[in-house]
Order: sequence, then structure tokens, then C-alpha cells
Amino acid sequence: MPESPEARLQHHHKLSVQCRVGSLNIDANLKLSSMWTILFGPSGSGKSSLLRAACGLIGSEGITLQRFQPDETWQTLQDANTQTPPHLRGLAWAPQHTSLFPHLTVRENVEFAAHHGQSRNTDHQSLVAESLRLFRINHLASRTPRDLSGGERQRVSLARAFATPHCKLMLLDEPFNGIDHTLRNELLPEMRTWLRDRGIPALSVTHDVEEALQLQAEVILLREGKVEAEGYVTKVLHAERDGLLQSLAKN
Amino acid sequence: MDSTSILLTLRLASVTTILLLLIATPLALWIATGRGPARRIVQAAVALPLILPPTVLGFYLLVGLGPLTAFGRFLIRLIGHPLAFTFTGLVIGSILFSLPFAVQPLVAGFTNVDRDLIDTARVLGASPWTVFRRIVAPLSRAAFLASAVLTFTHTVGEFGVVLMLGGDIPGVTRTLSIAIYDQVQEGQYAAANHASLWLVALSFLALLLLYARNSGRADAGIA
Repeated sequence: MPESPEARLQHHHKLSVQCRVGSLNIDANLKLSSMWTILFGPSGSGKSSLLRAACGLIGSEGITLQRFQPDETWQTLQDANTQTPPHLRGLAWAPQHTSLFPHLTVRENVEFAAHHGQSRNTDHQSLVAESLRLFRINHLASRTPRDLSGGERQRVSLARAFATPHCKLMLLDEPFNGIDHTLRNELLPEMRTWLRDRGIPALSVTHDVEEALQLQAEVILLREGKVEAEGYVTKVLHAERDGLLQSLAKN
Repeated sequence: MDSTSILLTLRLASVTTILLLLIATPLALWIATGRGPARRIVQAAVALPLILPPTVLGFYLLVGLGPLTAFGRFLIRLIGHPLAFTFTGLVIGSILFSLPFAVQPLVAGFTNVDRDLIDTARVLGASPWTVFRRIVAPLSRAAFLASAVLTFTHTVGEFGVVLMLGGDIPGVTRTLSIAIYDQVQEGQYAAANHASLWLVALSFLALLLLYARNSGRADAGIA
């Protein structure tokens, strides 16, 4: 079906995945806007697998990833004939299990995304400094991941992702895992502002209704590897929201 | 005291260790990450010197590098003299003989690096070379040390290959283990004991270094 130019302009990335991961059959077409998109679904619905597919980390068959370019053409990062290696996809990634580099300090972890220990310039340094400040981990900069709590590790992982220069798509896998609600409520608007100011679209994975509602973003509802609904958060998650309100009222 | 043999042995072991680490690192990386049947074949070939009698390896090297084969004749013409009974010949023999001792700890070390860390580094924009240099290699430090120490000590203790390929030329190919053999043949038990003590001390110190550095760390691939 041909798309109108307006509709195409709204989409920044198109990810189509038809493959089997473990015992799950994934068959999903995601259209991501230039803003923040939430991938919502219960555990085991294939959310992380979709992110990994976008990263180029799972098989090559049945996956298509396209990016809308400033010159209004679609760049194919992956399809049946193309397989752009992960490091050339212009992605930033905060993976599910934080995966901090254990032999590097917090600062070095964040710097790794900024310049991989190679030639550094002032842009990279200010990016690292701003990212450390955004996630309130300046005081942890010289510690190693082993000496951090779960929530602190999560913030370092986010800071590392946010310090990736020239990022075209931010992938956040359960970004507030282990971070308490008060801090999350502080961080969320600041993260959104950061991404909006730099024009970086984001795709985040969550199964937390409150988090999704707070983001006020487009939601893709995933169930058993298939897209069940998509649209604005209050429209897609109205049943979930009612459930949340009822449980809040009871308390 | 046979200082010539001791120095020769140390020189041979050092040169072999340095060259072998350079060869074994890409080889181990390929075995650890590669796919397909070729990988298994190479892995088996690399392990072959573990079970092959050193004399067999030495014999084939002696013949292969000598004037009896086309390759050997080509080599002789290239460098002007046969490689057998020279220090260079010994180095080649030692590299092949100690190959598994260098490669196996590295394969174990590289395989132990958390796959998620490698994936994360790649997505964050690191090229394969950067991933190796900044993530895989530093996290395999213990494996590199094990590989170096095992290669060094194994070369120090080498006998069969050296005897077949190097002969017994003082200052050129007569290593400590060969000197001990000669001394026992001549009934000089005191001298043999002296030289043997050197070997025991050298090997023990090397292993002590390995275990002291690795204490508290995960096993680097040697039992």
C-alpha cells in the first residue's frame, strides 16, 4: 500500500521481524516516529528480541530495518541482501541486563560509548560529562561496576547509551529496572528533553503501565510476538490504566 | 656449570613465547568465534602435538625443512643454508610443538568472555578490532599469562624435537635438556644434577608466577 508523504515523514524507522526466537514466533511490523515509542507487553512477548533484531544481533533472515534519511529517502540497514554490522547502524543501546564492562570504571564505561578509548575531542568529553550529570552518577565516576547497586548500574548503562555520539535511534530495554519511582519520575522528563533537543528517536521496552502512562508517547502493544494494538498511550492502554487506577484507589 | 646451554634455552623459550603468542592469538580467536567444520579440523590439528611423540614431529620437520622435499629445497635456496641444526630451525620446531599450550588457554579465555558484553560494545559503535582490544583482550588477561607461561616452560623442557631437528651443537642447539642427556650418557651425574636443578627451579618459578597472579581469579583454562 503506498503511503502518503505526510505519513512517511512521521516515521523514522521501520522494523519488520518475521522469525523464530526460542519457542516464540515473532511476526511484527513496527513503525517508529521521530519521538519516543514504547514497546509494551508482558514478559516473553518478544520485546527484547525485537530490539536485538534492530541491533543486528539475531539471525539475518526475516528481518528488515529501514531508516528515513534527511534527504527523504529510506536507507536499508538490513534486509534479505543487506546486513549492516551492529557498530555501523548508528544505534545507542541500554541492554536488559545492563552489561557494564567489568574491567572499566563508571566513567570509562560511559566514555567507551563516546569514543571507544580512541581519539577524544571536546564534543565527546562534554557528552560524557552531560550524560553523567543527567543520570546523577558523577559521584560514582571512579567506581567499578562491581561496587554498584542494581539501580546505580542501570543508571550507568543509561548514561553510557546517552553518551553515544551521532546516535540515530536510542534503544532502551526496561530502562528503569531497579530505579525507584521517585528517581524515575525525575529522570523521565529530562531524558525526553535530552532526546528531543538532539532529535534522537527512542524505542523503549517496558511492562510497567505507570511508566508508559507517564511518558505520554506512542505505544506498540506486543503479545506473543505479534502487534496487538498501536497508537497513543491512553488509547492503547486504557484497560491497563483503568486497572492501575482501581488498584491505586483500593490502596 | 653449563651457562651456554642455560642462556640458549632461555633465549629459545623467550623467542618462541613471543612469536607463538602472536600466532596463537588470532588462531584462538578464530577457533573461539568461528563456525563450520574447518574450525574443528584446525582445532584438532592444533592439539595434535599434545599426543604426538616429539620425535615424530622432529622427524617430519627435519625431512620437511631439509633438501629431500621441494619445500625444503626452496627454503634452502631462499635463505642459503638448511634450517635443520640451526637456532631458527629450533624456533620453528618449538612453535609447532608448543602450539596447543599457547592456543588452548586463549580459546578458553576468549570463550569465557560474556557474549552480552561483546554484543553491547558492538552496538555502541565499536569495530571488531576495538571490541577485541578494549573488551576481549583485557578480560582475557589471565588467559594470556597462562598461555605465555605454559609455552615458555614447555619450551624449556623440550627434548625430542630439539634432538631430532637441532642435533647437539654447543651454543647453537644444545639446550639444557640435551646437555643433561649428554652428561648422563657420559656418566657425569653431578653435572646432570646441577643442570636439572636449574630446570626444576625455572619451571617452578614460572608456575608460581602464574598461580600467584591468578589467585582469586576465575580459572584461566588450565586445570
